Amino acid sequence: MADAVFLALAVITIGSAIAALEMRSLIYGSIALMGTLGGVAGFFFLLDAPFVALFQIAVYVGSIAVLILFTVMLVKRELIFKKIEDKRRKFAGIGLMLVFMVALGAVFLDSGIKTITTDEPAPDFRDIGIDFVTYYWPALILMGLILAGSVTGSLVLARREDVENDQRAN
Amino acid sequence: MSVIAPKFKLSEFIKSLLDNVFWIILLLVLVGLPAVFMILFVIELPVINGELLTPFLALTWLADPSRILPVVKAFMGTDIFRVMAFPGFGFAALLAAGTIFVERKMLAKLQLRVGPFYCGKFEGILQLMGDGLKLISKEIIIPAKADKPIFWAAPVLFVAAAAAFVAFIPVAPGWVVTDVDLGLLGVFAVIGFFPIITILSAWSANSKFPFIGGIRALFQMVSFEIPLILSLLGVVMLTGSLNLSEIAASQSVFPWIVFLPVGAIVFFITMLAELERIPFDLPEAESEIVAGWLTELSGMLYGLVQLGTYLKLYAFAGLFVVLFLGGWNGPMIVPQFPAEILANGITMGPVTLNPPGLPLFTQEMLNGTLMFILKTAGVIFFILLPRGVFPRIRVDMLLNLGWGKLIGLAFVNIFIALGLLYAGVLGPGGLQ
Repeated sequence: MADAVFLALAVITIGSAIAALEMRSLIYGSIALMGTLGGVAGFFFLLDAPFVALFQIAVYVGSIAVLILFTVMLVKRELIFKKIEDKRRKFAGIGLMLVFMVALGAVFLDSGIKTITTDEPAPDFRDIGIDFVTYYWPALILMGLILAGSVTGSLVLARREDVENDQRAN
Repeated sequence: MSVIAPKFKLSEFIKSLLDNVFWIILLLVLVGLPAVFMILFVIELPVINGELLTPFLALTWLADPSRILPVVKAFMGTDIFRVMAFPGFGFAALLAAGTIFVERKMLAKLQLRVGPFYCGKFEGILQLMGDGLKLISKEIIIPAKADKPIFWAAPVLFVAAAAAFVAFIPVAPGWVVTDVDLGLLGVFAVIGFFPIITILSAWSANSKFPFIGGIRALFQMVSFEIPLILSLLGVVMLTGSLNLSEIAASQSVFPWIVFLPVGAIVFFITMLAELERIPFDLPEAESEIVAGWLTELSGMLYGLVQLGTYLKLYAFAGLFVVLFLGGWNGPMIVPQFPAEILANGITMGPVTLNPPGLPLFTQEMLNGTLMFILKTAGVIFFILLPRGVFPRIRVDMLLNLGWGKLIGLAFVNIFIALGLLYAGVLGPGGLQ
């Protein structure tokens, strides 16, 4: 059962990733990207990590994909993208991908991951939360600072001077 | 003079009916029954009252009406009943239909009109059925340059997402479609799908009013999702659980709205915005952009979107009840099932009926459902009420409210919850 689900998820994820790259229509491409992200969420479900899976759906499918969709809809794509049809580039890219995949797969298989068998129950999300605020608190603070910095940075970058405040009535 | 069927002949009509009956019986015997028996080989049959329910036993019981109750009870325990009928889709759709009718009548009374009146003799009670039949029988018109697959899929997906949302809401103790540990996170994940479906539907129509409406809907939903999630964190902190059934059960003494009124208010306002209701109905502003993102939808596609909208309304009201108003908890007002019927059966003259399998529902379940429905109806009433009172607000005021005020209030709510927890008022050693 788990193997069949894994295979189906793998086919969905990789297939929609290829579709996201190759689709002519950008909208369908971003829908396919949603399929990829949802497939990754399915992998997390399969790995007994529903917390991460639901956040994957809520954040990646629910927010990031919407952002991409929105941007694609608002941008006139003919003006900023130039089509470069180059067979050699394509094959070089596919070759590079295959080399990477084989190398990563070899590393994984060599690491002895197949010999690990465990019957431990999945960790509770409460334990993860307690770990975050006790042992791993510096990492949490660091993440918070990075996020705050990036939000501030994006606000500064996105700030426009030409909007006049007196045009808006409160 | 025009008649509906000018060449009508009664004999032809009866012959066509008999033809239909003949073909139905023939197909049932030749295809239907073998198919049923082939399926019965594969599925596992339940054990009822200590007996394995073989098809022969089931047919015996069907012939004996007094023994049908255990079968009904076993069916009510199955997943398909939960998904389709009681805490799931059917129940929610019934409440949604009631909501539409009450909304139309109440809005009319608020504005000194009459509202639906003629359809069905009494106060227009059959108006909804008429509207439904009208929507089903209308032609579905698709704009010439629309993106057809997405245009067709979007209303169906909208209803599907709303039904998935409904599935998380616990109605009575143990009566919930999906009782998952991370129910609230699941709710957040499902809510995230609505803006995608809306913007895809709006874009696929290839028309300017839907697109403007869709972009407004996207702005509104995405920016109000943040205060929505933040305002519910206080409840999660006090309960220590994301399971909606556990959250409802934890309010047996007092509802959380007593301690977290700020969170409840923020959640209620974000709920109005997520549901695109007045005063936040910018995506469907009918005086500016026709019908917003619904403009090009016609016939049953529009009907599906309406159904999804009202299912979503029920689900949000149910979520409010579960999180802040105590869910199914309340005074026990449903009387106990009479004991003499259980002991002696029902005596009607010379006949005594003593069916096994009584009572069909427990007292807790009936009472919980009643309490939940009463509270949900109250919340739905307060969702409908602003429509008769408030004007629509501008989009910049809306975003200002969402990003500036509601997020701040949601953080205030989180600090109130933390304060209650650390002061020892609630939580371990406190009231609960």
